[in-house]
Amino acid sequence: MNKLINFFKSFLLLELLKGMSVTGKYFFARHITVEYPEEKTPQSFRFRGLHAQRRYPNGEERCIGCKLCEAVCPALAIKIEVAERADGSRRTTQYDIDLTKCIFCGFCEESCPVDAIVETRVYEYHGEKRGDLYYTKEMLLAVGDKHEEQIAKDRAADAKYR
Amino acid sequence: MINIEIDGKHIETENGSTVIEAAHKAGIAIPHFCYHKKLSIAANCRMCLVQVEKAPKPLPACATPVTEGMKVFTHSDQAVKAQKGVMEFLLINHPLDCPICDQGGECLLQDMSVGYGGGHSRYQEEKRMVLSKDIGPLVSAEEMSRCINCTRCVRFGQEIGGKMELGQAFRTEHAEIMSFVSGTVDSELSGNMIDLCPVGALTSKPFRYKARSWELSRRRSISAHDSLGSNLAVHTKNNQVLRVLPIENEDINECWLSDKDRFAYEGLNTEDRLTKPMIKQDGKWQEVEWQVALEYAANGLRHIANGAGAEQLGALATGGSTLEEMYLLQKLMRGMGSDNVDFRLRQSDFSADGKQQGAPWLGLSVADISRADRLLIVGSFLRKDHPVLAARIRQAVKKGLQVSLIHSVDDDQQMHIAHKAIVAPDALVNTLSQVAQAVAAKQTEGIAGSLVSGERVAVLLGNFAQQHPQAAQLQTLAQQIANATHGKFGFLGEAANSVGGYIAQAVPGAKGLNAASMMASPRKAYVLLNVEPELDCANPQQAMAALQSADTVIVLSAYKNKALDYADVLLPIAPFTETSGTFISTEGRVQSFKGAVKPLGEARPAWKVLRVLGNLLKVDGFDFDTSEVVRDEALKGVDVSIKLNNAITGVEVKAEVSAAGMQRVSDVPIYTTDAVVRRSAPLQATADAATPLVWMHSEELNNIGVKSGMNVKVSQGSGSVKLACRADDKLPKGVVRIAAGHSATAALGAMFGTITVERA
Repeated sequence: MNKLINFFKSFLLLELLKGMSVTGKYFFARHITVEYPEEKTPQSFRFRGLHAQRRYPNGEERCIGCKLCEAVCPALAIKIEVAERADGSRRTTQYDIDLTKCIFCGFCEESCPVDAIVETRVYEYHGEKRGDLYYTKEMLLAVGDKHEEQIAKDRAADAKYR
Repeated sequence: MINIEIDGKHIETENGSTVIEAAHKAGIAIPHFCYHKKLSIAANCRMCLVQVEKAPKPLPACATPVTEGMKVFTHSDQAVKAQKGVMEFLLINHPLDCPICDQGGECLLQDMSVGYGGGHSRYQEEKRMVLSKDIGPLVSAEEMSRCINCTRCVRFGQEIGGKMELGQAFRTEHAEIMSFVSGTVDSELSGNMIDLCPVGALTSKPFRYKARSWELSRRRSISAHDSLGSNLAVHTKNNQVLRVLPIENEDINECWLSDKDRFAYEGLNTEDRLTKPMIKQDGKWQEVEWQVALEYAANGLRHIANGAGAEQLGALATGGSTLEEMYLLQKLMRGMGSDNVDFRLRQSDFSADGKQQGAPWLGLSVADISRADRLLIVGSFLRKDHPVLAARIRQAVKKGLQVSLIHSVDDDQQMHIAHKAIVAPDALVNTLSQVAQAVAAKQTEGIAGSLVSGERVAVLLGNFAQQHPQAAQLQTLAQQIANATHGKFGFLGEAANSVGGYIAQAVPGAKGLNAASMMASPRKAYVLLNVEPELDCANPQQAMAALQSADTVIVLSAYKNKALDYADVLLPIAPFTETSGTFISTEGRVQSFKGAVKPLGEARPAWKVLRVLGNLLKVDGFDFDTSEVVRDEALKGVDVSIKLNNAITGVEVKAEVSAAGMQRVSDVPIYTTDAVVRRSAPLQATADAATPLVWMHSEELNNIGVKSGMNVKVSQGSGSVKLACRADDKLPKGVVRIAAGHSATAALGAMFGTITVERA
């Protein structure tokens, strides 16, 4: 009797159809694979990627050199030197983040009283040498200038939770 | 004694003390801003409100005297509500700019607001704004909006500094701290206002925006710029000294620090720091390796010692050198067979040598000065030479100490001077001798009367008296007065290690030449330790002539300075922040310190340099590994106090008839006393560091036909300088007051003696 059942099962390709039904189910189901780099996953507005230094709309840099980010940084990735600028304001003369040390914890962003240092949604950057990932103040400001619109939008979205 | 209860804790406290004092003694913290243990009580910040049983309203703990059986609650609902209310009011007008405030991280208001402040502000209106003020090169009053009007700075000026230079003008919301008619704060203790300010209103100008408090490493050290031996903390970052703060020591500097000690660090890393050994060959300076320079120096010394004889070697150090440095210097010289070593560069009378029983010192402890009831100060620019000690005396005066002064100038000491005698330098011995006779005769008037009526008398000889050409006679007379009044007598030491120099035996023996005779009869070779002879010596003309004529001059200095003109070898050594060492303060307190930062460039601690020189010259006993070993050998395991003795015998007191002509009176201005201070830019920008003037009695000015403010030509010995003159009718007639130790007057001769002034 078993032999007969097995004969019909294999004769009618039942196993195959069973397998094909799984294939068929996923064929018509919603796709979750992301075709990076053509496609990208959605990001939270709290995404912690590449750092940026922001400016005020009038072009003045936000950072006042309070060194709270330097103090809070658990990886000691930030190095700041401060001096009095000609107009008497307190400004950084050096603001470096060593991204090879950074653990992207976001403490710097959180400690900043003027929202100057932020982590952007940018995660596609690389360095060919170790030094390439040593971001100076100019580089950070450039990142900020480039992404200011998105940064501002993200801060606004997060504002009510802060 | 009174029994009270604070927060349920039983406390026994002195009658007349306040609640906050009792609480602090018991270790209970009460928040406060305007209260400071060394200042009078203002009770204007209201932060220290506490609940007292049976009192209807909370009371300020700082202004409430304790009464028997009092029950105080510092953390009850009523107290905390009151404190929180006060904090909210204080924060109404205080800008929330902690991130850019230099006080951030060490701010009393910031700390208290964590404990008593609200999470957010209910205040919506505009904040008060106070304009910034320029009150001098040391204290920054840029951000006066931060002021919470505690008036600690005002009270400090009135009570400790002796002169009210800041005051609170206007009322209520318009109240602000300002100086008088946009003047500057010129007190030599002004830096303490920075420490006192509980917020960031008064901050250090040179330190502005240099670092945050949490970035700094703190290293204990000892003041190198005056003889008190103030305890201080050197704050460093990245191997650089960024600021200096006092460390509290009730027996020495209490909680104060003079501006000289506080801001001298700015002179440490200047352009003319010597960072590489240099030798002069064929008239040209070249930088060389240590080995080359040391061998060159050793050969130079050996050549003179073997050729002309060891007595042709002379060594001079400043009184600011450490015990170890001076000990090794004298050991080196004595090891080579020369007895010519001295550190008393500005002294002109050495007749006490050999007649003195020990190392001259203060004669009593610094704390004992506060307990004295009669004080006679002879020849001292007290306030400028010993700023913190002067503040201590000022406090004692308020508690009943009678101070008398015998001196050649009548500067404002900013304290009540009971009696004073202002006489020309050549009459100083006479005047003191008259006082001694009057004391012996138990007179009841004047200086003698004041001293005779005292129970705890002290006679102190200042820098001027020590530099005086009859210093030994003054010492003898001071001894007579002290003996007759059963009091103490001593010296207000000139430099950080004035006592240490004697303990290290950096003074000539019976055969040796002292600092003055080494210059008067020039030697063929000199070793200079920290010395800038044109500024540090009693007679710069003579000193420079002697050095210029010498065959070999080996300079151990942290700076290049004028040494390039006369030296043959320049060995870069480390100033006090970069070396370990020991200072023995004027009261005989031995205080060792360690280097706070690494020596700059190739500079090395002087004791190491001298040690290697000793090795190269094959002098025995130069195998030291640490400065502690050097110190222990220098102190020989004996308590220093045994060696301290001011007693002097065998000096004849004879009144000298004054020579014809004008006499010079020289002070060493407060910010020209040593090499580091001279290079500190903020100190050199103060009023005290202004170009010296020629001060004379207005009648004397009339005699030479000039008016106050005009330029005059001053000649002494072979040199002359042109300076502006100024009338000072408090000066005795026949006296010209010109500062020494300043580059503008370095061309002149001795600090005492005759001098000619004529119309320029």
